[in-house]
Amino acid sequence: MEGVLSHTAQAADWAEGLRCNNARTLSALYTKHFPAVRSYVLQNNGSEDDARDVFQESIVVLWLGVKEGRVVPEADAGGFLFRVAKNKWLDVLRSAAHKQMKVVHDDRIAERIDEVDDLEERIVRLRGVYDKLDDKCRQVLDQFYYERKDLATIATGMGVEEESIRTIKYRCMMKLRAFRKAIRGEEERHG
Amino acid sequence: MLDRDTFEAIEAYALGTMPAAEREHFEERLRTDPALRAELEQQRDHIRAVELGGLQRALKDIAQQQAASGNRRSWTPYLKVAAAVAVVMCAALWYALRPTTGERLYAAHFSPDPGLPVAMSAADDHAFQDAMVAYKLEDYAEARAKWSALLTERPQNDTLRYYTAMAALGAEEVRTAIPLLEAVRTDASSHFADQASWYLFLAYTHEGDTTNANTIRFDPADAHAAAAATIQQAWR
Repeated sequence: MEGVLSHTAQAADWAEGLRCNNARTLSALYTKHFPAVRSYVLQNNGSEDDARDVFQESIVVLWLGVKEGRVVPEADAGGFLFRVAKNKWLDVLRSAAHKQMKVVHDDRIAERIDEVDDLEERIVRLRGVYDKLDDKCRQVLDQFYYERKDLATIATGMGVEEESIRTIKYRCMMKLRAFRKAIRGEEERHG
Repeated sequence: MLDRDTFEAIEAYALGTMPAAEREHFEERLRTDPALRAELEQQRDHIRAVELGGLQRALKDIAQQQAASGNRRSWTPYLKVAAAVAVVMCAALWYALRPTTGERLYAAHFSPDPGLPVAMSAADDHAFQDAMVAYKLEDYAEARAKWSALLTERPQNDTLRYYTAMAALGAEEVRTAIPLLEAVRTDASSHFADQASWYLFLAYTHEGDTTNANTIRFDPADAHAAAAATIQQAWR
């Protein structure tokens, strides 16, 4: 399939889990694949925090790739995560602050993948949207859209009526809509 | 602004929760209505942005759990000593900062007013409703700031007085709630007068002001009469 990252065929439960934002899948991917990335970063002048940061970014890329059909369920999740994390860490090492450092296993530098670059650009844009929400909106929307809880469960957990949660959700999403509208207006004014 | 019904229809379609019959009809509309298609695309984008935020929060939680379990393994030999020291320090701190009788009675009997339902209503009380949303989410500082601003414009409004006082109690600023509750209690036309009497009684209890607390009388039929009697008994 053109434009789709395909790797070794494997059982694809992890892909379905990521598509549904399943907490157990996420935790299992983390536990299974973080050690390889951690070793690589620590061997190459990085710290535990650096390893965690690049690994988490890689998971975000994998997650979005699965959600948007740009990473196929048969892909090798571990290989994908390692390659993206490694490229990310090499980008850090190539930055001005790290120019003097020697990279171990340079021969294993992974090829750049255009598809990943696209996903990363999209992640930056989506983060810009999310940043516009206040904590209150995040608390409600996160439970509804990410955790997939129903309104009644969220309302019970927060000690308010279901109707209130429904209204808060609507208002918060309208805030995002108004924000996007304002940005579009700004862009049109500037050409 | 997109009306709520249309928003929820688009949302149900985007999340795949729309019933089949409605879905067919909605898809028909999508084919002929470019504005609806644009709304759907935008909403999908917003949902994805929110999911991304949730994912990042979940990843942070997993990293913290893993770091904590790693730390637990390496620090186990020292934990017992640290725990013993902590227990002694906590006991000393608790003794120094232990609550007064009034504060304990207040804590035992205080439960926040549940607030008013937040409904889709006219634009003129949006500010009030926004504050109510904050109050229900226990963001008492924000609720109080918003209601206080409205109260400046309408100082005689008993609803504003009452809920500003409720937000102050929620924020544990008990003393500042007292004058507002006094004003509502003495307003015979207010629907909140009885509730204000109870919270005022509790506020005086919190402050250790039994003299003023005892000036508040409860009708035996009042829902709070028994609790008030228990508190008075405890004082004695």
